[in-house]
Amino acid sequence: MTLSIMKQGRWTPFLYLLPALVIMFIFIIYPMANTFVLSFMDKTGTQSAAVDCMPGEPCWGVLENYRYALTSSDMLTALRNNASWLLLMVPGTVLAGLFFAVLADRVRYEALAKSIIFMPMAISFIGAGIIWRFVFALESGGGQQIGILNAIIVGLGGQPVAWLSTPAINNYALMVVGVWLWSGFCMTILSAAIKAVPTEILEAARVDGANEWDVFIQIMLPMIMPTIVVVTTTMVINVLKIFDIVYVMTGGNFGTEVIANRMFNLIVTDTGRSMAIAIILVLLTVPIMIFNMVRFRQQEAMR
Amino acid sequence: MSVTPANHKFATRTIDVAEFFKIVLLSLFTLLWLVPVFAAFITSFRTMDDITLRGFWSWPEALSVTNFIKAWGAARVGKYLLNSFIITLPSLAGMIFLSSLAAYALARFRFKGNMLVYFTFVAGTMLPFQILMLPVFRLTNTLGLYDTYGALILIHTAFQLGFCTFVLRNFMRTIPQDIMDAARVDGCGEFRIYWQIVLPLTVPSLAALATLEFTWVFNDYLWAIILLRSDALRPVTAGLATLRGQYNTDWPVITAGALLATIPTLFVFVFLQRYFIQGLTLGSGK
Repeated sequence: MTLSIMKQGRWTPFLYLLPALVIMFIFIIYPMANTFVLSFMDKTGTQSAAVDCMPGEPCWGVLENYRYALTSSDMLTALRNNASWLLLMVPGTVLAGLFFAVLADRVRYEALAKSIIFMPMAISFIGAGIIWRFVFALESGGGQQIGILNAIIVGLGGQPVAWLSTPAINNYALMVVGVWLWSGFCMTILSAAIKAVPTEILEAARVDGANEWDVFIQIMLPMIMPTIVVVTTTMVINVLKIFDIVYVMTGGNFGTEVIANRMFNLIVTDTGRSMAIAIILVLLTVPIMIFNMVRFRQQEAMR
Repeated sequence: MSVTPANHKFATRTIDVAEFFKIVLLSLFTLLWLVPVFAAFITSFRTMDDITLRGFWSWPEALSVTNFIKAWGAARVGKYLLNSFIITLPSLAGMIFLSSLAAYALARFRFKGNMLVYFTFVAGTMLPFQILMLPVFRLTNTLGLYDTYGALILIHTAFQLGFCTFVLRNFMRTIPQDIMDAARVDGCGEFRIYWQIVLPLTVPSLAALATLEFTWVFNDYLWAIILLRSDALRPVTAGLATLRGQYNTDWPVITAGALLATIPTLFVFVFLQRYFIQGLTLGSGK
């Protein structure tokens, strides 16, 4: 699409852009630069991070905070946790979303079912945290179990489980909450894509004797693949910056800390390290940003 | 001929079985999805003693709305909710007005740097804003905005400008150029074209954005705890967190508070769902 050349001053577009750009410069670009600079400074943000180096111990000089961010055991735990969030929650939400979108498609009560799956999107993380306490709660003093899961387990004669404070399972418990919150988002976008696939194409394949599975794998899936990519990249970014679920439910204790929580916990006591972690987080999102930019560029070119 | 009706009957029956199976499966999952909310809902009508003595699966001794009254009044959820609106509505107005201006420039003018500015906005939609918390906290202190509604309003506006501009710009590009050319020939000024022609045509996507952004800003928690100190200014998310500390042993009150806090976004979600979904679809860059 070509824009017809209009009568305009050279600066006219910037008149319209200026208010947005000014606000974004003050509250995004400037703080961003600030974060970057602080990541090379010490705890108090006043001198070079190199002053924290101890004689006889490994030191990366002005990059000392990055040594912490990339090699300390605290951060390795957080990075590992974030990696398992990525590996489990991204496929979890996308596949659950796809499953619900396909299952509900053109079925009676479709709208109702989709509304319910989607509903957690309207609930704040704090609200979700409070709601989910009832699922995971543990009564260890010998009283009645308040948590739904433990009430069921005890009812069946089992031992109650400390869902949120047992390191082997708490991360998965938190991911379940994540899947509950985000599957509806994936389902909604994927459902819109499925509805956009022309029914004639699917019908033609059925007439030719293809079964439902073949129709889905060989026709539907390739046609909605671009949308699956969009949803996946969005979820990767959402999961990389995951913070609230962990903060609200475990506060990052019992080995559940993720990158953003580590950053938050250090913000008062060690600004240098906190900001170095922030930069690592940005760097992790950069590949996705570039990927999306390239995709949008291609879309622009096609218009 | 006698075979055809039987065949036909058979065909419709298999379809029914498939659909029945789908409905059963779907019902199971939706029930599963509702379990946590349902549990919270039931609990909020019971007393703490009733639950601790008899367990979660016991038949409630009595149901009452006392917890809701307590949460609304004594626990200040009503006040917190009002704060949430005071923060959310101006943020919405700000981000939508400013981004519609920016989107108009990007969609309608040809100028050097158009793509560069556009991609800056796009990058802004993907940046994890938490990384800015310390500098933004310090900045609001310097500007004398710390612990004011203004700080949160400005921050939410700034952070959502990228996403809103991205969505609106792509929508505005679908408006036929002829409409604007005709107006221009008639001597219509550039700002009037934006205000009286383009903006009204953009209303569907403005509505979609507004519902989506309402939920996001209303549910923000992180920035509320970073930029506010006074309890009197807290939005409902931060207020609930405070309640969790105060009423730690009285779950039903906290839960009633959490359910009350969800009403505005749930209302938007139930009644404006169409716009909400449209916003998400537009935002995914389709």
